[in-house]
Amino acid sequence: MAEMKTAAYICKGCELGVRLDAAALVKAATKDGKMNLVREHDFLCSADGVALINNDIANEGVTHVALCACSRRAKTEAFNFPTVAISRGNLREGVIWIRPDSDEARETTQEMAEDYVRMACAEVKAMKVPEGNPNTGTSKTLLVVGGGMSGMTAALEGAKTGYKVVLVEKTGALGGMAAKLWKRIPNREPFKAPMDNGVADLVAQIDADANIKVYLNAVVAKTAGAPGRFKVDIAVESGPTVTEDIGAIIQATGFTTYDMAKLPNLGAGQANVVDQLGLEALARAANGGPIKRADGKEVKSVVFVQCAGQRDATKTHLEYCSGHCCATSVKQAMYFKDANPDVDTVVLYTDLRMPGNNEDFYRAAQNKGVIFSKGAVANVSASGDGCTVKFKDLILNEETSADADLVVLATGMVPTTGPDLDQLNEANRAAEGGDAAAKEQVIQMMSKSVLNLDYRQGPDVPQFKHGFNDSHFICFPYETRRTAIYAAGPVRRPMDIAQAQEDATGAAMKAIQAMENAGLGRAAHPRSGDLSFPTARLEGCTQCKRCTVECPFGAIDEDEKRFPLFNESRCRRCGTCMGACPVRVISFENYSVNTVGAQIKAVDIPDEFSEKPRVLILACENDAYPALDMAGMNRNAYDPFVRVIPVRCLGSVNTIWITDALNSGYDGVMLMGCKHGEQYQCHFVKGSELGRYRMSKIYDTLKGMNLEEDRLMDLEVAITDIETLPKKINDYAARIVEMGPSPFKGL
Amino acid sequence: MSDMNQQMTARYKNNFLKEIEQQAEMGEWVKMCMQCGVCSGSCPTNFHPGWQHPPQEIFMLIRAGKRDEVLDSPSMWMCTSCYNCYVRCPRKLPITHIMHGIAEYAYRMGRAPKGQPTLHLSKTFWNNCTKTGRTNEVQLTQTLYFKDGIVSGIKKALAMQDVAIGLVKAGRLNIMEALGGGHKCKGAKGIHAMLAKARELENQRKGRAA
Amino acid sequence: MTSVVATNQTILVVGGGIAGMTAALEAAETGKEVVLVEKNPYLGGRTVQLYRYFPKMCHPACGLEINLRRLKANPRIQVLTMAEVTGIAGDKGNYSVTVKLAPRFVNESCTACGECNKAASTEILDAFNYNLGKVKAAYLPSDMAYPQRYVIDPSVVGSAEGQAIKAACKYGAVDLDMKEEVVTLNAGAIVWATGWQPYDAEKITPYRYGEFKNVITNVEFERLADPHGPTGGKLLRPSDGKEAKNVAFIQCAGSRDENHLRHCSRFCCMASLKQTRYVQEAFGDAGKSTVYYIDIRAIDRFEDFYQEVKANPNVAFVKSKVARISEDKNGDPRLWGVNTEGYIRYSEPYDLVVLAVGMEPSVKNVAIPAEVLGDSSGFVMADPANAGIFGAGCATNALDVNRAVQSATAAALRAVQVVNQVARAEA
Repeated sequence: MAEMKTAAYICKGCELGVRLDAAALVKAATKDGKMNLVREHDFLCSADGVALINNDIANEGVTHVALCACSRRAKTEAFNFPTVAISRGNLREGVIWIRPDSDEARETTQEMAEDYVRMACAEVKAMKVPEGNPNTGTSKTLLVVGGGMSGMTAALEGAKTGYKVVLVEKTGALGGMAAKLWKRIPNREPFKAPMDNGVADLVAQIDADANIKVYLNAVVAKTAGAPGRFKVDIAVESGPTVTEDIGAIIQATGFTTYDMAKLPNLGAGQANVVDQLGLEALARAANGGPIKRADGKEVKSVVFVQCAGQRDATKTHLEYCSGHCCATSVKQAMYFKDANPDVDTVVLYTDLRMPGNNEDFYRAAQNKGVIFSKGAVANVSASGDGCTVKFKDLILNEETSADADLVVLATGMVPTTGPDLDQLNEANRAAEGGDAAAKEQVIQMMSKSVLNLDYRQGPDVPQFKHGFNDSHFICFPYETRRTAIYAAGPVRRPMDIAQAQEDATGAAMKAIQAMENAGLGRAAHPRSGDLSFPTARLEGCTQCKRCTVECPFGAIDEDEKRFPLFNESRCRRCGTCMGACPVRVISFENYSVNTVGAQIKAVDIPDEFSEKPRVLILACENDAYPALDMAGMNRNAYDPFVRVIPVRCLGSVNTIWITDALNSGYDGVMLMGCKHGEQYQCHFVKGSELGRYRMSKIYDTLKGMNLEEDRLMDLEVAITDIETLPKKINDYAARIVEMGPSPFKGL
Repeated sequence: MSDMNQQMTARYKNNFLKEIEQQAEMGEWVKMCMQCGVCSGSCPTNFHPGWQHPPQEIFMLIRAGKRDEVLDSPSMWMCTSCYNCYVRCPRKLPITHIMHGIAEYAYRMGRAPKGQPTLHLSKTFWNNCTKTGRTNEVQLTQTLYFKDGIVSGIKKALAMQDVAIGLVKAGRLNIMEALGGGHKCKGAKGIHAMLAKARELENQRKGRAA
Repeated sequence: MTSVVATNQTILVVGGGIAGMTAALEAAETGKEVVLVEKNPYLGGRTVQLYRYFPKMCHPACGLEINLRRLKANPRIQVLTMAEVTGIAGDKGNYSVTVKLAPRFVNESCTACGECNKAASTEILDAFNYNLGKVKAAYLPSDMAYPQRYVIDPSVVGSAEGQAIKAACKYGAVDLDMKEEVVTLNAGAIVWATGWQPYDAEKITPYRYGEFKNVITNVEFERLADPHGPTGGKLLRPSDGKEAKNVAFIQCAGSRDENHLRHCSRFCCMASLKQTRYVQEAFGDAGKSTVYYIDIRAIDRFEDFYQEVKANPNVAFVKSKVARISEDKNGDPRLWGVNTEGYIRYSEPYDLVVLAVGMEPSVKNVAIPAEVLGDSSGFVMADPANAGIFGAGCATNALDVNRAVQSATAAALRAVQVVNQVARAEA
């Protein structure tokens, strides 16, 4: 590796040269920053400025560049030097744009700028150019678990893209739930009649595809390793267990129907009450002819009860809506009408949910004579040869009833996601404590595992809500908390076949991308392409397990000696492990305890008589830092005594930064991170929550140091807090002034 | 026809809906309503009493099999044919026509409310105009004004006399019509034959006995 | 001249909203070369004009920031803004696409310092804020605008003001001689992600949009609620600036209506439920919302959100398609109609009425090749036999943001499949 040669560039464009004393900045970079080369330029992002830097890299052997100009979010196309380590001193959005252009402000503004120059120099000297994760995996085989519509689609789409696919199906045949359907909801014009379920066609395509290897009657017995190098044991019924090398995984394990036995008031247990799946069986048996009940009687009247055991505000049954059931009942009512237009078909609903062009499907059913009534069903009881459905007709505003030969309950979807990891952990703890029942419970729960991940943090993908494996991010629907493992179809979110197939195609995209990036040693979303990865000096490790427990993505296991075992390609590079480590042995090449620590130390701390306090701000780079930037763009001024350091996530904040800062004379520390809790905004899911939990412990330390609690301020920031954030900074700075200088100043 | 009046209807069964489909003009549209209620809200008479059941509710009653409530209802007779509901209906139901269709069917069933003004006007107008092929406006007005007795008729006539005088002056009302004069159609017989044929065709189309 | 490097293994993504950005990023992060074409001067499409997303009530800028960072870090994506595809020739694996680039009058040298803005005096309607406010003729469309470069409105080009704007730029970034350009580029596959437009509310005549100032659309209400919008985030009604504490939401304004949009636009129920939150947050218990609906389509786990809103005593639900709107003397819009649950007539005045207008596909009136099928509403229809042009996001269906992203991810794979085939054929 080439010898380190550092260079700082001071830009004088965008009024920087007018508002600031550039010569003093050069001096700060040279004298305090100890940079090998320091240059100033009138317009650094111009072709000329960029050429200057490129020339220094090529001909002067510069390896580390501190760009003291605008924010790291600006002019990224110009300042693109992929071969060297780069830090950005934010003199524009972070200094001159947030300070008034006045004589009295000049001195403090200049001090601020000089500090940012020193910080940029200190940071870049502590950085290395990341070389990429050496533990890459080379497997480009996609594993699809579940051979229903979603799984088959994912497998076919993967194969069509040119990848090998292993498809594991629990039962003896492909097709899943869709195979049990007589017909499916139409997914294209004219949206007027049920269409073929499409299963046979997909099965034939899979059979004909040499790139897809199918295991039937098989389950995943164990998944070990990491993206690009998973070792997956596939247990085949009455056969040997096979191990496959896998690059990425799609979990398409579908759903079961909500157990209608839990709905006795809606007639569960009565012979003439079926759920939607039960009706599909009757329709398949009828094969296009008149649909007959179990007792062989031809059905002449049928009532569909929507939302049976769903949308339950009392939380006794499913709280959510399963999305497909309105269209499914419409489709099933058509089964009857298409066979015999004289069959009385009534759909009782509270909100008929037929989005998009399904509205046409609804119209078509009405046109066929299906009666729709907004009604709240009270109960279904056996009467005469059939059933009576008691309900309130909400339009006619009266309690009424309808008799029918058959009642169909539109029950919901229950995802097949395996055990809930929180519950499992709880049971595990109790079992370890010697609770026999808990032990049994653990065995029971583990038997339901889908992926049997050999991960420190549990056997399956953490669930999101109502047992589904959905992402919490609106903008990133495929994000799970297990890298290169994606959920597709109704296991992710309630959906119909058309959506599931679309979903499976998208999941295949993400899985293929994850395999490709794992092979190149790059991170997956949201730091996609990041080549840095965590390393640990194990000789200093105390085996406290905080990193292995806290990693939001389950990337870290423990080896036989109970040291953390980093699975780099599972890592998302958030740095939560680094923040968690009490002995600070975990670091990234370009982001470490040292890269931030050095910046904290680089700030000039005036003495207690100067009346110039210093407040350290550690700001999440995803939301808080952009908010500060935009405050600058809007020229929303804030206090000149703060020094902002962006961090990857609040989870990466190591308490040493805070104690060091306070020990070295900072008067206060502000943490700015994303929202945590149920509606979290943290892009690393748990990072901001864990970071905050860690900080809550620091107050004891403050007490030990005889410092006021207010010396540390934890602020939840959204990216849009462009106006409010400067105000909050100023309020805090005022509070610091009120408290007086830190007693540690000058010690 | 009387057998139709004996028809059994069951709740939420298709039979009354089908009866309306077959018997009432535009009745086949009733099933297409999605109960948004824009028709009911768009009706200019909506904020006046008399609208026992607005259109969308009539449609729901039909679907719920409430035969008596529908056929006996005065609501269809409230329609002024303003077509607001028709143009606004998101399902493009020809609501105005459906209301008239159901009203006409109720009348045919002998279920139309007694003394209903719209019904009275319709009947009077029809008889008046088919008799000679042209409307005798004076007689028509007279029959309408004196529907509820002489005193009430005189009151109404006095109240409207300005309008009447205006119409006469403008040549739009011929006072001679009161005496059986006024304009007539030359081929009244032909008109009667045409109307008879139309009825026959209508009955054929609807599969009704003549 | 704008130069674009593209081959028959390049994926062209048309539309730089969240679907187009997603398709471009997913493909590029899988190692494919992508050209992303966007009509506006900035990326992000309609999502960035939203204040918050349902059901999390989080800010679209947050996801945009991540996507922009992905984009900035990825050398495989070339972005063309103010660009429109005007023609597509050729076939799957080898398309030739012509793109028309409108002049921005600002080149890459722009540092976004804002001096041009200071020099400008003419004010133009602020399209980013749905014309509810004004901006100077040299403007940055939003704080999150990418490319982070100013735009100069053609109206000042050729004027003395234009010269003053040019003179104000120390970096030679203002180029008033910039002309419209047409570039032709090669592509193996095309992702069509041109999104949607709000249905033109003026066509729903009984609601008198455009005539009554206090009848606005849901997309406009987003701008009112946004602290960076024309009212600084205050819910003030347009006619007199009075606080809009009593707000009515009219669902299916255009949607599910054969006189307007045949389809259900899917997102509008949730959007209105979300917007009732804006009213609640702005005024607490003094903020009242009434939602007039046909069916509340809070599908799947969005039901949780609906239940929460329903439990709020300050939000009322009326099952009714509002028949018409009149205006009281004080400017209050008055809704007329019938609550169909039990036939209850109403005539209610409100401070403000928000029309939950639906989605009209932007593919309408655009010349896309004949082999791309449209459905009865004009959305691009999935076609298994289709060659190499794939719809993504709201160009294909009425979708919410989450589903649009899902759709775009799937579209990216379909495009990758085509260019992989091309690569294999040429290997």
